[in-house]
Amino acid sequence: MPRYGMVIDLERCMGCRACMEACKVENNTPEGAFWMHVFRFEEGEYPDTKVGFLPRPCQHCENAPCVKVCPVQARYMQDDGVVLTDFKRCIGCRYCIVACPYGVNHFNWTPPEDAYYLDWDDPDLEKATGGAVPPYDNPDLDQPHGDRGTLVAGGGHYDGTTEKCTFCVQRLEKDLLPACVSNCPVDVFSFGDLDDPESAPSQALRSRRAFRLKEELNTSPKVFYVGQPPPSEEIRPIDIVSSTGGQ
Amino acid sequence: MARFSRKTFLVGAGAGAGTLVSASHLVSPGRGAGQSAAPAPVEEWVPTACWIGKQDCGMLARRIDGRVVKFEGHPAHPRNLGTLCPKGMAQIISVYDPNRVKAPLVRTNAKGQTGEWRQVSWDEALDRVARKIKEVSSDDPGLILWQKGRSKTKEFYDTAFVKALGATKLGHGAYCSDAGYRACEFTVGVEGVLHPDFRHTRYLLSWGWNITNAGGNKLCWITWNRQLLEARERGVKVVVIDPRLRGAGPFADEWLPIRPATDLALALALARELVRQGYVDREYLRRFTNAPFLVQEDGFFLRAGDKEQVWDTATNSAVPFDAAKKPALVGEYTVGGEKVKPAFQLFTEHLDTYTPDWAAEVTGLPAEKIRAVAEELGRNAMIGATIEVEGVSLPYRPVSAMAYHMCQQELGFEAIRAMVMVFMLLGAVGAVGGQSIDLGGWKVEAEKFDKWGEVEIGDPPYNFYLKDSKFFPINTGSPSIVAKVMEDPKRYGVEKLPEMVILHMHNPLGAVPDRKLISSMYAKIPFVVDINAWLSETADYYADVVLPAATVEKYEGPLGATDQYVDAVALRVPAMKPLFESRGEIDIYLDLTEKAGLLYGEEGYLEQINEALKLVEVDEETGEVTRGPYALPLDRKPKVRQIFDRWAKSQGIEGGVAYFEKHGVYVKGPIEAAKYFGFAMDPPFGGLVHRLYGEPLLRYQEEMKAKGAAEIYWQDYTPFPTWRVPTMDRSPSEYDLYLISYKLIEHKQSRSSFIPLLAEIARRQELSINPKTAKERGIDDGDEVWVESHNAVTGETRKVEVQARYTETIRPDTVGMAHHFGTWTHPEAEGQGPSPNEIFFSGEGYVANTADQSFHVKVRVFKA
Repeated sequence: MPRYGMVIDLERCMGCRACMEACKVENNTPEGAFWMHVFRFEEGEYPDTKVGFLPRPCQHCENAPCVKVCPVQARYMQDDGVVLTDFKRCIGCRYCIVACPYGVNHFNWTPPEDAYYLDWDDPDLEKATGGAVPPYDNPDLDQPHGDRGTLVAGGGHYDGTTEKCTFCVQRLEKDLLPACVSNCPVDVFSFGDLDDPESAPSQALRSRRAFRLKEELNTSPKVFYVGQPPPSEEIRPIDIVSSTGGQ
Repeated sequence: MARFSRKTFLVGAGAGAGTLVSASHLVSPGRGAGQSAAPAPVEEWVPTACWIGKQDCGMLARRIDGRVVKFEGHPAHPRNLGTLCPKGMAQIISVYDPNRVKAPLVRTNAKGQTGEWRQVSWDEALDRVARKIKEVSSDDPGLILWQKGRSKTKEFYDTAFVKALGATKLGHGAYCSDAGYRACEFTVGVEGVLHPDFRHTRYLLSWGWNITNAGGNKLCWITWNRQLLEARERGVKVVVIDPRLRGAGPFADEWLPIRPATDLALALALARELVRQGYVDREYLRRFTNAPFLVQEDGFFLRAGDKEQVWDTATNSAVPFDAAKKPALVGEYTVGGEKVKPAFQLFTEHLDTYTPDWAAEVTGLPAEKIRAVAEELGRNAMIGATIEVEGVSLPYRPVSAMAYHMCQQELGFEAIRAMVMVFMLLGAVGAVGGQSIDLGGWKVEAEKFDKWGEVEIGDPPYNFYLKDSKFFPINTGSPSIVAKVMEDPKRYGVEKLPEMVILHMHNPLGAVPDRKLISSMYAKIPFVVDINAWLSETADYYADVVLPAATVEKYEGPLGATDQYVDAVALRVPAMKPLFESRGEIDIYLDLTEKAGLLYGEEGYLEQINEALKLVEVDEETGEVTRGPYALPLDRKPKVRQIFDRWAKSQGIEGGVAYFEKHGVYVKGPIEAAKYFGFAMDPPFGGLVHRLYGEPLLRYQEEMKAKGAAEIYWQDYTPFPTWRVPTMDRSPSEYDLYLISYKLIEHKQSRSSFIPLLAEIARRQELSINPKTAKERGIDDGDEVWVESHNAVTGETRKVEVQARYTETIRPDTVGMAHHFGTWTHPEAEGQGPSPNEIFFSGEGYVANTADQSFHVKVRVFKA
């Protein structure tokens, strides 16, 4: 049984946010929802300025606070370490949002038919798309996935539910890497079995110094960062992307 | 500029009458409504190519039950290796955009305001355009302007279609990097600007390269970035020369925050320091450049007959340059009573005043830093070193620069010449680890090299972009200059102006400076045809006919796919039918030329396609045509797919177009060292003598003066790049800041800011401003401010309102705005803020001596 984890190489990241878009298209997340987020920041004073980037997916914590607080066990960790949300169970209480120190959750305030950017009611378009909303709707996401065989993949299924990064559970089951990992133009991400010493993340962790976000909270994230020291307290965010999920 | 509410033009029932229809808002069936649960979905992966950017990254379209749900990168495409940038990934939502132009449109109201349209059939639309083509051609087909923004296949569009019509072609180069292209074509005869041999370089000047967002020489993104990271793993040092750090992100080992438009001064100072510190590759200069050529006191070469002379120190006499054993680079000699000096001697004298202390004043960079960079360049160049590549011993000079769009400034031609000359001093052009210019090898363009040295400056009347004129002997061909000409043709000695323009994937009102000037041009052109997927701002205000183009869903190519080290070619293959009534441009042009009587026969579009795709060969001297086995017959109209099948087979690609429909990209293999390195060619550099001394430029200057051209046109035609204060600096002192512009990774020119997935992550315009500068003006982070520009030549001022955004990554005397935004036709574009193109100027003082556009202007910023 693998224990999936990820290593993110900050020495390579260009901050391009292609991973945010790849996640969005693959997982059909609604407007304002970013399961993968890339922080851009600067620090220092001209001309001694520095610029940095930091991608932040769900950390799939081994000791996940969101799992602990979910009153109905809609949020759970499966055997392979992936932390998922059972959308049919979720009652939308948003305790997971409160509990998560990383702000990775998105709450669906908007009904799905209104949550996808444009007004897709166009008879001419429907001829080509069969009425799919959004037109790039990924049919994988409506299928059952995961250990529980339930509706856990993709976003925006129901308003009144909370969602987050699933490590692309629907892709893992096809032996594909998560969309962000697969798409990164400059190979920032390694993904695989942390318990396999020869996996890409294990190799990365063996040869490089790594940190995790908010290590002191004992959430035990399965996402590690290499290539740069942890961002200092002096960083100032730039190019802020507003999201509406409630994090 | 007015916004118009979203109108949807319905195709099919109800729309045939040609009436304007507005959107009906049906209740959405909800997500996933189109999916049936029962049978297993059919999944296909169709190779295609990205449409939204510049470099046509290979893609795989994931198609389920006939509906494309995602684009992913094609793993075998050398440029992107299975990945996509955010634009490539997001473009799927734009393919399905109901705001695309759905059917051909004919304007029903007056121009100069938001358009009202009548939907028509393709037949009617093309008939109209064909009629106009015939009408204008009967007088002079050169008065049809074919104006491209992005052309994804030169062969079918720029070459074949333009030739079939006999039209005048203008590209976007004047807004892109053509000042640099002209400089490199003129100096070393290669087409491009500057990029490193990444695999072997050790010290890289990232000169205005917006690493994390865009550009770099000739490519879009991804490719150079991957190569940069590999080089960094090897320990390359990256010195960033840029008024702004944000572009380089975390990849700057050092940041030289240069004052805008002073790059020429820095290059000259670096050259001076290299000479002073003794870092000069004398052997390269002697053997492969005109550095030893003897120059007379009048500035022209000493010639015997036609042959330039050098001083041979072996014989102590002047000899023809190709007969010398040991040509002198320095000294002063007397030949036939005349004092002469080698060009290199003159160069060292010319450089004398360009000291680091002088350059520090001009550029705002510390003098010791300039000296240090020169020393690092010189030391890392390892002059004299050789390295074996593919069994051949070649000069090893692992220093290089990446420069591209930064050359679009008033002194851009000079600046790039000076930068090339820095690398010439080091012997690094075309060397291993050194300076490359073209993609996929050191491709010598002897014709261009000769052409730019032999321009014959004519007398009026000139054509409407002033080709071969006393204004711009070396002329990129700029639409903004056409606009100036159309304002006052007499002033420029022009009699015939464009009667018609066909816009090919271009939105001048959105994408280029200066908006007011360009608007006036399009207002004057009697017939405007816009071929575009969306209703552009230019079409909105000025088009007579709009022809809806397909985006990614068409056959197009051949698409170059090289990453500089591997040669490959690809095709854009449609993964779905064109949406609505849109069509691929090749399709459109086949029908259009047919209706205009220009498709068939020996001069028609089909034969031009044959020539462009090399399906026939034309003997240059005799004009005799040899038809290859796959040449298109000239009497019947082929399907676009058939043309590509013939082309692919003519290339020896087994399966023809079916190969591309299955594999997307055809990788030919690694580019051999003998093709990649200029030094490795036989003869080296194709036998061209590199122009350290630009003698033709002096000749042009003298002829321009003699023909009465004003100083502003001839002042930069000097044999050596020569510093002067840019014209914009004459603006009154209250215009105390420089405005620059730059690209964002999320957007592409003016064709993406309305794409919802991209607008979501880069929503609106912001003015990047240094906090100290802002605070001095009482401006808080996020405040709305006015940015007012001033034209130092005409005195005109313009202003836009924009939100200020603090950043410590920009010089205090500089502010910046992204190149995108400021459009209005698409409903998603509302509230995005202005385009800097609204306040940049064009014309005299704001173009280079090659007519290339300058993206600089002096502004003042104050709280709104």
